[in-house]
Amino acid sequence: MLEKIKEIEAKIEQDILNIKNSEDLENFRLKYLSRKGIISELYDSIKSISIEERPSIGKKINELKAYCQQVYAEKKKILEEFSEKKSEQIDLSLPGRRKWLGSLHPLTQTLKEIKLIFQRMGFDVADGPEIEEDYYNFEALNFPPEHPARDMQDTFFISDKVLLRTHTSPVQIRVMERTTPPVRVIIPGRVYRNEAISARSYCLFHQVEGLYVDTGVTFSELKGTLVSFAKQFFGSSLKYRFRPSFFPFTEPSAEMDITCFLCDGKGCRVCKQTGWLEILGCGMVDPNVYKYVGYDSEKYTGYAFGMGIERISMLRYGIDDIRILFDNDIRFLKQF
Amino acid sequence: MKISLNWLKNYVNFDVSPELLAEKLTNAGLEVESIEYLNKKYENFIIGKILKVDKHPNADKLTICKVDIGNKNINVVCGAPNVSENQFVVVGLPGAIVARNQHDIEAKPFTLKKTSIRGIESDGMICSEYELDLGEDKSGILVLENNGLKPGITLNEYLGLNDVVFEIGITPNRPDCLSHLGIAREISAIFHLKLKKPKLDLKESRELITFATKVFVDDLDKCPRYTARIIKDVEVKPSPKWLQNYLNAVGIRPINNIVDITNFVLMELGHPLHAFDYDKLKDNTIRVRVAKDGEHFITLDGKGRELKEGMLLICDAEKPVAIAGVMGGINSEITENTKNILLESAYFLPQSIRRTSKLLGLSTDASQRFERGADPNITKFAINRAAQLIQQVTNAKVLLGYIDIYPKPIQPKKINLDTDRVNSTLGTNLTYYPIKNLLKKIDIRLIKRNKSKMLFEIPTFRPDIEREIDLIEEIARLYGYDNIEIKMRSLIKFKEQPVYKDIDDEIRNYLVGRGFNEIITNSLMSKELAGLSKDDYVEILNPISRDMSAMRTSLIPSVLNVVRNNIYHQSKNLNLFEIGKVYFKDSSIAKGPNTIAGFREEKRLILAKTGISEYPHWSKQEFPSDIYDLKGEVEDLFVMFSLDKYKFISYTIDRTLTELTLYIMYQNVEFGYIGKVKKEILKLFDIEQNVFVADINLDILKSFVNYNRKYIPLPMYPMVIRDLAFIVDRAIPVEELLQTIKYSAGNLLKSVDLFDIYTGDRISADKKSCAFALQFQSEERTLTDEEVALIIDNIIKVMNDKHNATLRK
Repeated sequence: MLEKIKEIEAKIEQDILNIKNSEDLENFRLKYLSRKGIISELYDSIKSISIEERPSIGKKINELKAYCQQVYAEKKKILEEFSEKKSEQIDLSLPGRRKWLGSLHPLTQTLKEIKLIFQRMGFDVADGPEIEEDYYNFEALNFPPEHPARDMQDTFFISDKVLLRTHTSPVQIRVMERTTPPVRVIIPGRVYRNEAISARSYCLFHQVEGLYVDTGVTFSELKGTLVSFAKQFFGSSLKYRFRPSFFPFTEPSAEMDITCFLCDGKGCRVCKQTGWLEILGCGMVDPNVYKYVGYDSEKYTGYAFGMGIERISMLRYGIDDIRILFDNDIRFLKQF
Repeated sequence: MKISLNWLKNYVNFDVSPELLAEKLTNAGLEVESIEYLNKKYENFIIGKILKVDKHPNADKLTICKVDIGNKNINVVCGAPNVSENQFVVVGLPGAIVARNQHDIEAKPFTLKKTSIRGIESDGMICSEYELDLGEDKSGILVLENNGLKPGITLNEYLGLNDVVFEIGITPNRPDCLSHLGIAREISAIFHLKLKKPKLDLKESRELITFATKVFVDDLDKCPRYTARIIKDVEVKPSPKWLQNYLNAVGIRPINNIVDITNFVLMELGHPLHAFDYDKLKDNTIRVRVAKDGEHFITLDGKGRELKEGMLLICDAEKPVAIAGVMGGINSEITENTKNILLESAYFLPQSIRRTSKLLGLSTDASQRFERGADPNITKFAINRAAQLIQQVTNAKVLLGYIDIYPKPIQPKKINLDTDRVNSTLGTNLTYYPIKNLLKKIDIRLIKRNKSKMLFEIPTFRPDIEREIDLIEEIARLYGYDNIEIKMRSLIKFKEQPVYKDIDDEIRNYLVGRGFNEIITNSLMSKELAGLSKDDYVEILNPISRDMSAMRTSLIPSVLNVVRNNIYHQSKNLNLFEIGKVYFKDSSIAKGPNTIAGFREEKRLILAKTGISEYPHWSKQEFPSDIYDLKGEVEDLFVMFSLDKYKFISYTIDRTLTELTLYIMYQNVEFGYIGKVKKEILKLFDIEQNVFVADINLDILKSFVNYNRKYIPLPMYPMVIRDLAFIVDRAIPVEELLQTIKYSAGNLLKSVDLFDIYTGDRISADKKSCAFALQFQSEERTLTDEEVALIIDNIIKVMNDKHNATLRK
């Protein structure tokens, strides 16, 4: 008897796997679970065995029945679900349910990366006003009144002594006024130039200024810092050069060029056939500047640098007209 | 500034490619912005002599010319009527680019090829002046004057175009490089070559200058030196070709020999000179004095100038004849009739010239050099050089001697330099010997040395070198910035302040996640738009245009501009934000570490939404954006910053730019608002669809942000949820109902949310049904149904008492 039960169990296992549709399922039910099915027959056959054996055999048959009902129910559920799906005819090629997709302005993305690099090098971030005094924008940066260097930066004036800052450098003075060395900051911000608007210039742009003043800061270290920045930002294989330039608030002053990554230094339209791209201006803080902020120029040396975020973004993304950055055409913004 | 390669070679003997020279100059701080090859235009054009003219066998109007082009004779088929033997003509050889095709309507250039014309081979083309772009005559070939011409010289040679011109950006600290001699000095330093100054060879007449003129300098501060010479019997005429070629190459239009020579010396030595018509100077006198307010003067360009007190003038015995260092006057100009001239070579105070030039709005080659700092000790050399050239060109008589008023000679500066200082600034290991040699290359000489301390003498043509640090820069420049090794000290000092949290960036990231596109806009706007604010706006004294004559007082016009431009391009559904500043005049602001007196800058966040509310999908209906979109965005933003005690208050008084305005309050401070932009404002921007904005003061928001978040244990007992719907008068704001529910429910109520509003047939017309979901929870026990029922009863009672609300069943 026990063997027969085992046999039936094995048969059930096999039959259940062969059920493909509701017809098979019904046949399965009729075969095992109906009143005239195999399991009913088993119950009937109990009478033929000894009374002592009956309880244990009966228990086995109960277990078998429960098992059979369970697999039947599971199979039924699967088949039902399958048929539901079939009747719905789901078209998975229909578009998904999307949301508006936001974006950060490319200038913000560039600035974020520049900030990240310098913050990792230990620079703090500082800020200052855009409406600025002549004193901070020019005088304390060693642009004396009536000095031709003032012509380098066409200025919007608010009054005789108040103007829209032409660079972020005035914040250098503000930071040094309230800090004793060491000072190590970057200063991102908006600056203004009174220039005709064209593909190459806009009435305003954004800069990141850097300043480090301490004992023993050298030009050599300035180079190292900026080379490290440029490699982190533009790629570690880049070539670079520093060439002399002039800014009233640094001495010596330099401009940093990197090899044009569009033509690999062979010369193209973007690098004006030179193979080089100018990316920033820098230099050692001029001792005259220290006089204005009360630093001892015998004790401290320092460096400063500044770069245009628009220029760097334009180079990086291959944008050839600065105005598109301020048009905010959504088709442009969504590319970033 | 333009610098000619041929001209440079007069002063220094170098033989490197223009490209290499450009690179070296750039690396020395003289940035070469472009290189122009003047001979590009006339490559493969040659001067030929027509030896023989034969008729073309197959064409009546054509001839076959045998042309001597120096090394050989060639055959050229020609159609010009004026061709004849022994003419000197310009022959284009195969490969030459003819500037203008005279048989083409658009006169396009074309490249010559060896061709066969009606069966006869032609080795080139004889050109007209029109084809060469040298004139407008196209009636026949250009015939050159035969004054010693030899066949075989190139057209470039003939026109003096075998030259290369560099455009060099000279920084304002280097007035010494505003001349060919100055650039040649740098080249001699770069390539270790000798600098050859022009040689003076002046023959003076016996007539003494002392009797011919008198010079008085009234203001020796503004005019420390005045040198003059007199040259008689000049013949004013066009300059010789070599002189014209040099000037043309550097972009100066030749005028006449006298003016051209002063310009030549200017470009050669960098020192501005001026030539007066001696006979037009009243009493043959020069007086240097300052102007009085209101004096009037007509400059060489024919313009009348109102003079201001303090401007330095060159006068004769009765009237001004030049504005010192800026421009001469029409009353003493050199003309064809000029016979005798007075040459001026002076040194003027830079600040004075700059002030005059700025006040007059008149910047000239002369004023630019004087204001950057000319060399006071070159005046004599410059005037002698000019006199010599005038003599050479016109056979004039240079009077004996010169006037030189220079009572306090300006001495070369002496500057101390410590080699330790050099190395501690640059990070180098230079000793005194290389330093001395580097500086010697640019005429800076060591006078004394004591161990690491050195004393140098600085020539007066370098006014920019005033301090030790300026010498250090020269050393770095000459040593080569690229030769300074990178050495990092790695001295990062670890900080103790808490990490800087950039809230702007957190807001940006949040909003990008919510589907907003960041914009960055101009902070200048028209006065009309700026004036819409109730506060005083900041005006620009010298704006580029009316549209940008003030600082913005609100981000709304900026964003509307962007909305307009995008709608124009068919992008009508927009979710925009900007973090930017607005600017006000504000007398309550005092000077501070980050403020300047009388001006206020506020950082604000603006959100703008227009078009449909949600991204369209085939499965759902589209709704236009409305104020609840932005209200929800702002609420969620505040939740993110744990600002849970904010309030929205709507007033009936509208803001200038928005209506349906909701004010955002926190701890009784109003720091922003949400609203619908008014129709009349939208009209200014030609926008026809609704635009909703939220405008928040970020400086204030930041002060509220709480970063000290503390963990709150999660509830241990189950939550009971009940829904209640009340019928109330339509006019009652839901916010009031919410407040009443909260107040009447007590502190077991954890949250209450409105989930439905119904108006319609099933209730009376002046009523609305508001359905709320209430969540109750205790931190100490499981709530029983009875407990909750009691609270609900109380809510219903209070709602009824206060709002006449009835429960909807």
